[in-house]
Amino acid sequence: MDFAWSPEEETYRKEIRAFLDAELPPDWTTRRRRPDSDEQVARSKDFCGRLAERGWLTPHWPKEHGGRDAPAWQHMILGEELWSIGEPRGPQYMNVNWIGPSIMAAGTDDQKRYHLGRISRGDVIWCQGFSEPDAGSDLASLKTRAQRDGDEYLINGQKIWTSYANAAEFCYLLARTDPDAPKHKGISIFLVPMTTPGLEVRDVHAVVGEHAFHELFFTDMRVPASTRLGPENEGWGIIRSVLSHERVGVPRYGRAMFQLGLIASWASERGLLADPGVAERLGQAQAACEAARALVYKVVDERAKDVPPSPNAYVARAAMVQAEWAVGEAGMVVMGPDGLELDTVADDQFRFGMTAGVAAGTYEVQLNLIAGLALDLPRS
Amino acid sequence: MDYDLDADQEALRGAVATVLARHAGPARAKALSSSEAIDDDLAGALADAGYLDLLGDPDAGPLAAELVVEWVAAAAGIVPVAARALVGPAVLDGQLPPTMTVMVEGDRGPVRFAQAEAVLVVGENDARLMRLAPGALEPVATMYGYPMARVSLAGAEVLDSGPAEQARRWWRVGLAAEIAGTMRAAFDLTLAYHKQREQFGRPIGSFQALQHRMSQVYVRCEGAAWLAREAAFHRAGGERAAAAAAYAAAAAGTVCAELHQMTGAIGFTREYDLHVWTLRLQTLRLELSGAGGHARALATARWVTPRPSSSGAGAAR
Repeated sequence: MDFAWSPEEETYRKEIRAFLDAELPPDWTTRRRRPDSDEQVARSKDFCGRLAERGWLTPHWPKEHGGRDAPAWQHMILGEELWSIGEPRGPQYMNVNWIGPSIMAAGTDDQKRYHLGRISRGDVIWCQGFSEPDAGSDLASLKTRAQRDGDEYLINGQKIWTSYANAAEFCYLLARTDPDAPKHKGISIFLVPMTTPGLEVRDVHAVVGEHAFHELFFTDMRVPASTRLGPENEGWGIIRSVLSHERVGVPRYGRAMFQLGLIASWASERGLLADPGVAERLGQAQAACEAARALVYKVVDERAKDVPPSPNAYVARAAMVQAEWAVGEAGMVVMGPDGLELDTVADDQFRFGMTAGVAAGTYEVQLNLIAGLALDLPRS
Repeated sequence: MDYDLDADQEALRGAVATVLARHAGPARAKALSSSEAIDDDLAGALADAGYLDLLGDPDAGPLAAELVVEWVAAAAGIVPVAARALVGPAVLDGQLPPTMTVMVEGDRGPVRFAQAEAVLVVGENDARLMRLAPGALEPVATMYGYPMARVSLAGAEVLDSGPAEQARRWWRVGLAAEIAGTMRAAFDLTLAYHKQREQFGRPIGSFQALQHRMSQVYVRCEGAAWLAREAAFHRAGGERAAAAAAYAAAAAGTVCAELHQMTGAIGFTREYDLHVWTLRLQTLRLELSGAGGHARALATARWVTPRPSSSGAGAAR
C-alpha cells in the first residue's frame, strides 16, 4: 500500500496545469462553466483541438488509433485536472472515455477510420441515445425499434434526457432489433448522424440548465446497416463495458471541489470563514469530496493492475454522488438567499448537482449493485 | 499508487492478528469492561512485538502504524494505541512510556484512557507529555467502551514536549483510523447478521430497504478507511488529517445509529457483540471537538491563508 505519485505522474500533472494556465482565458474560473452551456459546447471544439495537438485528448488510447497507450493513472490525472477547473472539454469527455473505446472494441475498419480520427482530433460532438420515457433505470427495457430492411434499418421511437443533442453531430443510439428475444438480447447499437432525415430534436425545458436535456424522435428514420456497431442483437454486452467506464470515467468530485473552492472564496471575501457554522459546512463538503476521490483512486488502481472490473466502481460512484450533494447543500447554506440568484456558484452547483444521482445510473441502482456484488446480500 | 497491502504489510497483518486473537476481541472487551482499566496484557504484547513503534521505523513507517491502529480497533482492544503508536512518536523525540493518551489542555470532560502512564496535554502551541500527580484522576462511570476519567493537571510533571499542531493532526489521523477499524468490525457483524437472520420467511438482507442502507454504511466505512490510510502515509498533512477525521467522525454517528436500527432488539443486549464497537463510535466521534471541529480545521487549513507571523512547525495552519 502506497499513496505516492511517481515522478512521471507529478511531472505530467504539472505539464497539464501549465498548459491549462496558458490556454484558458484569464477569466475562466469566474465565468459560467456548466459543461452543457452553449458557450462551453462551442468552446470545447477549439479547446479539444489544442489538447489533441498536445497529445492529451486521447492519451490512453492505443497507438494505432492515435493515442499513446498512456497508463491508467495518467488518464486519471488528466481527467482530474480538467474536471477540477470546470471541464473545458465540455461534452467531449464522453467521446474519449467510452464512445471511442467502444468503437475500437466493436467497430468495423470503416467505422474506426471514419470516427476515431474525428474523435481524437477533438472536433466532433456526440450525444448518447439511451434513456426513453419508459426506460430509465431499467434501460434494457428500451423500445425504440430498428427493423432490418435490405441494407438499411428503419428506426422508429423516442429517446429522452439526451444531453448535448442540440450541438451533436452523431448519436450513439440503442435500439431494439429483436423484440421477441429476452430484453437484454435484442438490442443493437447504431452510430447515427444527427442530420439523418426522420430524426427530430426537441429541447426539454429543464430547471437544471439550458440545453441540459433533449428529446429525440425517430420517425421512419433510415440508416445504412453499416452504421450498426458490433453484431446485431449484441449491443447490450458492449454497453455494459461502456457503462463501467462511464461510472468512474468522470471524476465529478474534481468539479465539486472546484465549485466548493468558489463558494469558500465567496465566503472569504465577506469574512465568513471565521463563522464556525460556515467553516464546518465547507469542511464537511470538502471531506465528502476527498472520500470520493480516494474511492475513485481505488478503482483506478484496479484498472492500472488490469484486474477485472469490480463493484468498487459502484462504491466510488455512490461516494461521488454524495459529494456532489454535499457541495450543493454547502453552497446554498453558506451563500443563503444570495445563492438563489441565477448563475451564482451555489445556484450552478445545486441545480447541476441534482442530476448527479440520476444521470448515468441512479444512486439507488448503485446501491443495489453494491448490495448484490460487493456485500453479497441475497437478492431482493 | 498502490491500494493493495505489500508483502511486508501483509506479513504484519498476519502477525498482529495472532497477537490480537490471543489478547483482544469482543469477548475480552466485554469481560474487561467493568475493570475501568487499560488492558496491560494487550499493551505489553503489542509493545514487546514492536507494533507500537512502527512510525519511526524506516522498514515500516506511518502507514504501517496506522494499519495497526485500525486492526487493534477492529479487535476492540482496550489500549490507547493511536496515542502511543501515532501521536507520541510523531510529536515527541524522547523515550515514550509504555502507554499514553492525549487530551486538550483545560478540558474538564472525561478523557479516554486517562489511566495511561502519561498524558499528552495539547495546548495552543505546545503539547506537553505529563505524568499526573497521585489522585489526579476522577474516574467516570461509562458504558461507551473505554476507561475514562476527569483529569486534574495540578502537580503533574512535564516529561517532554512537542508542537501542538503536529499533535492535533496526528490525533486526527489516529481517530480516523480507530473509527475506520471500529466501524468496519461493527459493519461486518451486521452484514453477517443480515445474511442469516430470517423474518417473513427470508433473510432480512434481501429487503431492499435494508440493502440500500447497508450499501451506504459500506461506502462510509470504505471512505473513512482510505482517507485515514492516505493521511498517515502523507504524514498527517493538515488538510488530509482533518479531512480523514471529519469524514470518519460524521460517518461514525450515522453508522452507529444505522447498524443498531438494522440489527433490532438483539443489538441492545450485552450478550450480542454489536455494542462493543458501536458505543465506542460515540466516544470516538466526539473527541477533539468532533466532526464539527475536524471540519472547521479542514476549512481553515484549506482556505484560510496562513499569516506570515504564524509560520513555523508548531503553528502551521
